[in-house]
Amino acid sequence: MIASLQILTESIKTGKRKEAKAATEAAIEANVPPEEILNALSSGMADVGRRFKANEIFVPEVLVAARAMQTSMALLEPLLVKSGIEPEHTVVIGTVEGDLHDIGKNLVAMMLKGANFKVVDLGTNVPADKIIEAVQQHNAQLTALSALLTTTMPAMQQAVEKIHEKNIPTKIMIGGAPITQEFANDIGADGYAADAASAVDVARQLVSAR
Amino acid sequence: MLQDNWFLRAERFFSLFDQRLMNSRQRLRTALEHQQADRVPIDFGSSFITGIHCSVVEKLRQYYGLEFRPVKICEPYQMLGEIEDDLADALQLDVQPIFPQRTIFGFPNENWKSWMAPWGQEVLVSEHFHTFTDNTGDTFIFPKGDCTAPPSGRLPQSGFFFDTIERIDPEFDEENLKVDDNLEEFGLMTDEEAAYWQSQSERLRDGNRAVNIHLNGTCLGDIALVPAPFLTHPKGVRGVAQWYMTAAEQPEFVMELFDRQTEIALKNMERLYQIAGDVIDVVVVCGTDFGTQTSLFFGVHQVREIWLPRYQRINNWIHEHTHWRTFKHSCGAVKPLIETFIEAGFDILNPVQCSAEGMDPKLLKEKYGSRITFWGGGVNTQKTLPFGTPDQVREEVLSRCEIFAPGGGFVFNSIHNIQALTPTENVVAMFDAVHAFNGTA
Repeated sequence: MIASLQILTESIKTGKRKEAKAATEAAIEANVPPEEILNALSSGMADVGRRFKANEIFVPEVLVAARAMQTSMALLEPLLVKSGIEPEHTVVIGTVEGDLHDIGKNLVAMMLKGANFKVVDLGTNVPADKIIEAVQQHNAQLTALSALLTTTMPAMQQAVEKIHEKNIPTKIMIGGAPITQEFANDIGADGYAADAASAVDVARQLVSAR
Repeated sequence: MLQDNWFLRAERFFSLFDQRLMNSRQRLRTALEHQQADRVPIDFGSSFITGIHCSVVEKLRQYYGLEFRPVKICEPYQMLGEIEDDLADALQLDVQPIFPQRTIFGFPNENWKSWMAPWGQEVLVSEHFHTFTDNTGDTFIFPKGDCTAPPSGRLPQSGFFFDTIERIDPEFDEENLKVDDNLEEFGLMTDEEAAYWQSQSERLRDGNRAVNIHLNGTCLGDIALVPAPFLTHPKGVRGVAQWYMTAAEQPEFVMELFDRQTEIALKNMERLYQIAGDVIDVVVVCGTDFGTQTSLFFGVHQVREIWLPRYQRINNWIHEHTHWRTFKHSCGAVKPLIETFIEAGFDILNPVQCSAEGMDPKLLKEKYGSRITFWGGGVNTQKTLPFGTPDQVREEVLSRCEIFAPGGGFVFNSIHNIQALTPTENVVAMFDAVHAFNGTA
């Protein structure tokens, strides 16, 4: 493995964004194929996800790792576009209407990006119609919805029902503090994840089951 | 042996005698001493983390046949309703608040005016509660009531609570953090505040209920306060993600901030004690959440390095100089931190989120019940209370009381505030159940 890629993976794992930037620049300079750089990034984030799930690291460390990944990704993305390399799967993600909370949703979005999903982040307080519009526009195989409040769980249910009513071919996964697998079953969501690292596993299962 | 028996008998006799005479304050103090009170003390409304949403307060007033009047918003961020004495009597509450002189949006609650909430409820808010509504119907509120400042809170059109708006200073430089920027909100008690505490303590000095307050400035790194919704133009680390990352990358900055914050808070506590020390029973020291549903926000080693020594300083001062009992709030799966909270000198843990990973009530009571009081844990506000049936609510409340009540060390409260849209019949079922447990239904 090329030294700069090893450094890149390590700097993602430890959240060192300056090192990540320098290593990405060095790899690009050395004409390393962009997909190999991407693999080095994803491998770093996969390790972050594994340690997060095992309670070896916590939210702050995941945030700094994700920020390092984003710094590197900003340099890499134009090259990926140029080479016609696109993520295989697209996910539309957002916090449902009436809810402004986004820490959990952002963590999930970052982890999915790190797992090489194309992520369309609609932000917070997103009405069902806007979610549907984005899913159709981007042909998203996956829709990820978040709610932190018990008062916005009905809005999540309505969004899921609307997606089903319109027969939109997307799998739906949900999460957020008051959300449970039981609630996902009740409202007809295809998947539930308790945390950002599990969200990647659930997302992969859902898109591969399609 | 004979002497022991005599003492035991005498103690039992006097405790029976005491139990019959217990007022709310005695009841709470007994429970906090980990002794059996005549009944389980009940709290709703004595803090911003044990309250009830204003819409539910209005429905409870209707249910108990109390005079109709618009509910006062005692805490505008979460839109908590004030529980007035008539409702507190109906609900048999044992604890009452003295709220901070200024709300989380930086203005005093005074000279009430009417305001129509987006969900169609007329409430009373402070005259300094200034808002505007944008073209999407979202409501924005100004810090300190200053309409020239950028708004610091936002209530979505279909929402029931405000959330803070992150206002990042354009000149913010994360490579060059200044502790003073994040200290702007922590100052010495003003004369205006001192006068407020004086009048509030006089009002409650001869009261029957115990008094709980939020201490000013001892809340170390509460993520709800980091964006400083009370300041007009905050500087420093004010983003939520930014704060977490700073704690990971520059813990020495956070520790210095907490040290200086603690210094100021200790001086303020001394003055507060002189003014109102005798009236206060419990102080909420810190509401920083360390738990998620399944895990922790920070590793145990980080909490022990960054928080523990400062918590110890605060709690030690309180225990050396006052009779106050110290209250720590943290949502989530905090079982791995309970020993640290006890070591930090906290007397009370809230809200005891039994649904979170590892927070089994029986296990908590068995392992920690003699060393820390559980103030909460009464019923799940994410599931049973808003979405269950009244029977399910009753069953859960009775089960929790049976687990937590024996031997004291328990104050009944739901797990965090009762949220909007919670069915009134479920809230009533909760109160009926705890009153039945207490034999006061």
